[in-house]
Amino acid sequence: MKKILIWGFIIILLGLCAKSCIRRDIPETYPKNIINSELENIAYPDTNKNVTINGVDYLQSQAPVGVFGGELVISTIGEGPKTFNPCNSKDNTSSSMAGMMYDGLVTTDPRTGDVIPQLAKSFSIDGNEYMINLRRGIKWSDGKPITADDVIYTYEEIVFAGLGNTATRDMMMIGGKLPVLEKIDDYTVKFTTSKPFAPFLRMLSYQIVPKHYFKPYSDKGESVFNAFLSPNTNPQEIVTNGAFRLKEYVAAQRVVFVRNPDYYKINTQEEKLPYLDKLVYLIVGDTNNEILKFEAKEIDVLGIRGSNVARYKIKEPTSDYTMYNLGADTGTMFLVINLNKDKVKPIKHKWFSNRDFRAAIDWAIDRKAMVQNVAQGVAEPLFTAESLNSIYLNKYIKGHPSDKNVALNSLEKAGFKIKDGILYDSDGNRVEFDLYTNAGALEREAIGVMVKQDLEDLGMKVNFKPIEFNSLVNKLTNTRDWDMAIMGLTGSPLEPHDGKNVWQSSGPLHLFNQRPQGWNGNDRLEWEKELDEIFEEGALKLTFEERKPLYDRYQTIIYDQKPIIYLYSPIRITAIRNKFKNIFPTPLSGLLYNLDEIYIGGKE
Amino acid sequence: MEFFKYISKRVLQTIPLLIIVSLISFFIIRLSPVDPLAELRLNPSISQETLNKEIRRLNLDKPIYIQYFSWAKSFVKGDLGYTSAGEKVSTKLKERIPNTLLLTLVVIFMTWSVGIPLGIISAYKKETAFDRILTVLSSIGMAIPSFFFAILMLIFAVKTGWFPVGGLTSYNFNEMSFGGKIVDITRHLVLPAFVLFTISLSGLQRQMRANMLEVLDSDYVKFARAKGLSEGKVVFKHALRNAINPMITLLGFEFAGLLSGAALTEYVFQYPGLGRLILEAVMKSDINLVMASLMMGTIMLILGNLLADILLMITDPRVRG
Amino acid sequence: MEALKKIFKDKFAFTAFIILTILYIIILFADFIAPYSSSYSDREMSYAPPSKVYTINEKGKLSLPYTYNYIREYEPTLMQTIYKQDRSKKYFIKPFINGHLFGVENGGKLYLLGTDINGRDVFSRLLFGGRISMTVGFLSLFVVFPIGLLYGGISGYFGGIVDTLMMRFAEAVMAIPSFYLLIILAAILPSGMTSVQRFALIVVILALIGWAGFARVVRGMVLSIKKEDFVLAEKVMGASNLRIILKHILPQTMSYVIIAMTLSVPSYILAESGLSFLGLGIQQPDASWGNMLKEAQEFTNILYRPWLLTPGLLIFIAVLSFNLLGDAVRDYLDPKSNSQS
Repeated sequence: MKKILIWGFIIILLGLCAKSCIRRDIPETYPKNIINSELENIAYPDTNKNVTINGVDYLQSQAPVGVFGGELVISTIGEGPKTFNPCNSKDNTSSSMAGMMYDGLVTTDPRTGDVIPQLAKSFSIDGNEYMINLRRGIKWSDGKPITADDVIYTYEEIVFAGLGNTATRDMMMIGGKLPVLEKIDDYTVKFTTSKPFAPFLRMLSYQIVPKHYFKPYSDKGESVFNAFLSPNTNPQEIVTNGAFRLKEYVAAQRVVFVRNPDYYKINTQEEKLPYLDKLVYLIVGDTNNEILKFEAKEIDVLGIRGSNVARYKIKEPTSDYTMYNLGADTGTMFLVINLNKDKVKPIKHKWFSNRDFRAAIDWAIDRKAMVQNVAQGVAEPLFTAESLNSIYLNKYIKGHPSDKNVALNSLEKAGFKIKDGILYDSDGNRVEFDLYTNAGALEREAIGVMVKQDLEDLGMKVNFKPIEFNSLVNKLTNTRDWDMAIMGLTGSPLEPHDGKNVWQSSGPLHLFNQRPQGWNGNDRLEWEKELDEIFEEGALKLTFEERKPLYDRYQTIIYDQKPIIYLYSPIRITAIRNKFKNIFPTPLSGLLYNLDEIYIGGKE
Repeated sequence: MEFFKYISKRVLQTIPLLIIVSLISFFIIRLSPVDPLAELRLNPSISQETLNKEIRRLNLDKPIYIQYFSWAKSFVKGDLGYTSAGEKVSTKLKERIPNTLLLTLVVIFMTWSVGIPLGIISAYKKETAFDRILTVLSSIGMAIPSFFFAILMLIFAVKTGWFPVGGLTSYNFNEMSFGGKIVDITRHLVLPAFVLFTISLSGLQRQMRANMLEVLDSDYVKFARAKGLSEGKVVFKHALRNAINPMITLLGFEFAGLLSGAALTEYVFQYPGLGRLILEAVMKSDINLVMASLMMGTIMLILGNLLADILLMITDPRVRG
Repeated sequence: MEALKKIFKDKFAFTAFIILTILYIIILFADFIAPYSSSYSDREMSYAPPSKVYTINEKGKLSLPYTYNYIREYEPTLMQTIYKQDRSKKYFIKPFINGHLFGVENGGKLYLLGTDINGRDVFSRLLFGGRISMTVGFLSLFVVFPIGLLYGGISGYFGGIVDTLMMRFAEAVMAIPSFYLLIILAAILPSGMTSVQRFALIVVILALIGWAGFARVVRGMVLSIKKEDFVLAEKVMGASNLRIILKHILPQTMSYVIIAMTLSVPSYILAESGLSFLGLGIQQPDASWGNMLKEAQEFTNILYRPWLLTPGLLIFIAVLSFNLLGDAVRDYLDPKSNSQS
């Protein structure tokens, strides 16, 4: 009996093996191309207007009138907010949560990128004087009026006093001097900067906080202020002025906001916005989990990357969401070469500091294959320091296809020689170096493997070493003992001056030639000097037309000198459920900038 | 009296243990090149001054032994310090511990109520087909990498729509009725508990089988059989009691083991438990948080063992002394 | 020999043994069996599906096995990459071609299990990855066991204060949850290492967390062995302590050592995959089953590219086989034992 069973089992196994070996050749059929309509031509509403009703200066949305109620569930990747204090947020999640709760004086026009009033009713600029008129009659969530005192308190006692995150203060420090504030009356404030300073106006988007609520804590000094509005604060007690108020925070799971019933923005029927009752942020650990949650309809909005795009695109016509192509991302992916003299071995330093050597690398890298394989076609090759959607993008930099021969010529020009497929420098040293990236990121590891292959085709020996993210950053910014690295940074499409920490030679993020603290600035390269000057000067010029040539020049310098070799820029594709209306996505601001106008209108 | 003397001796013994654990973990974490401020450093808008402020706040500018002593001093005083993001470590732990306890208890309950009977049966039916198949089946559970199994389970949840995709509560949890809340938590717990259950079942079943075999082979069971007691009585009255005693010791270990073994599962399921917290903290070298949780884990391990010993003393008087 | 016969009376153990033997033979000859090298990559073929091998041609007649190449097309409106068969030329699969066991003639591509993101042949990488995944456990054991044996031996033999101190230290190491210890240790690996060094260090790290528990059990056994007559006799005859430990006491623990070894190999294989999941294990471009499985975590990959899941299957098979074999070995050597690894 047992034997029969065993033999039967074996026969079935053999049969299965044979079955899998024998396959008939039948031509495959492929799915027909689904021709999808071009992305809709969105009819954007006019910009917001100021309307005064019963002495209250409202901001009026010109978007179609919607229906009140409902909720929008979105996700935030990471560990969730670390603080709700807008003045102390140092990470993206915390800032965007705080941004939900607190408005600044000005904001950015989502389409043009211009600075437009928000909490301010209007502003006027006269050289280095900025006159800000506040809205009358608008209130904090506890009913107290928002006045010039709050503005002056926010700037003088928090920003200029260096409490919390000091980034804004450092940016506002112009020629070593902070701007001066002056209270003209309860609803008018004047800022005076020491010199005319272009990025200043946009910096006024810094959130204004209530003096009566914050002052008791800011007076007690830094440590108390830093702990103030921690995620465990009782949501009821938080005094805000933004479109949404905090309702609950559940650690590592979600943050729930409810509408501020007394927000100062109204629709064309003079009803108070926002439409949505509730805004839920689910805290998810990684993009995989996010995608699964979108599949399971637990979240309503999803940023889609790489190969997932095709899946959702195919399903789109029969599904309950619409996808929007928001164009190139503000983030950049690049290969950075360490030009540091102290920490890189002299032999390697000689190669790296040679412009032709860097150019050879640039020419050898196959960006097209990266876009096709790593990003699955959902990306654009990148050659400039500014991201592709930046209004300051230097359009004259066209880039080039990869070409091994140009790369080899360039190496020859620099005195390198190839013997038996191995590259030697003019002193006969074999060209060998390390290439780092952060481990665990599939994309970057794949890019690293490709870069390694491309460079080894030139006869170099590349030791590709993915290491843990935090260790990598420590290497890049602190110990500086690395050769090349593949990294990414986020940028601003509107204000190139935000990148000054990267480009100025003394900046703390001057990756390709990081100087130690307290460096005296005496060994700057020629083009580093020029970059320093451009960033000094660019900030002092006021109009776009004056600034553009300067920032064009900086991109040209980076493209010519190639301390950082840009690789590609992913394209942002975002899906949102069809039931949400008033969706006016823009390349500059994305999809969810107008949360106060979005409403739920029937199913389609 | 002897009893209390024993316990106080045991508690005193744990102090050097805690010191060694803290020394080992503190130094290896600090020796690693992992930078707790990496995220801040890579943020173009963070200035050097903010960075320096953070470095001073986290004591990173001091030599490592001073860092250790200042940590140890505040730990003894009961102050767990702040995380590298500036949150209180004690509140972070407080948020997570109940969740982890919940999951751990559910899993232990499941494994024990399935593993023990299975172990008994397979011991009793030693070397029959049933025993064999059971052993193979439980080995299967042990052979799948936990994170991979968890990912497959998540996809299962998406495809069927029967279970939520990770987390512990739905976003509208607070508006639910009491019954609804229980249902909601249960639905969230099913998949992670199942994954952990599958992984830890086989160990328990094997252990119980081995114990039971040993007892069944012992003289007093043979004697009981010889006396002509019914098989059921022999197994349940005599063998079982003695076979279960060593298992109680295991309970303490299992409790602490789930803390560490659950980390990847918690991570994939986005479960807001201690394991995931420690995992993220370790990856970021968030020293106060890691140290506090490791100490917590060690104390839990010791407590678990102590409790097991006390239980054993109560059930089995021979152990004393 | 008698022992093997007894162990293999267990059908499961026998099957497991056969499977493991085949696996080890295959990975030993990976260079010859795999159609491609581990660094071979075809840029134009990222995520290509497995090549279809036909044995019955389009006319319905039996034929020698052959396959077609794929052509990649990109569909811009859907942003989708599609692979189509290039039916213009058949490539026959031939044995012993280009120094490999099998393959297709030049110009043809044979991806038995498809390719990964960099266009590397998954089948070949599975074999090369197996070399790391299937040996990392054994190599670790060779580090663990000498340390554990010696540590436990010394501690148990000398007893007293030495014993107390050594055991307290071992207990402290055990008290740190092993997985976190693993992560911390993996994170302090010096970053400027070659892949061989990295592999060696991961072996050592895996060993560092395993020795303490093992040492403790050895010490317990030594405690009872050292009271036996033959040890006392040696002592009287004036043998040195080390000699007694190495020559007379430790060999007595052999059966336990064998059981513990077979039972702990799988946990090392799993630990390596867990480390790789977090990006701390074997690094690209080297292959290990753990780091190959990392690619299989993406939702679309599981759904549309199931061939990327094969490393998971192999981990499963290897671990299961080791478990079954270990069970049988334990039953043979020590039927009543309740030793757990």
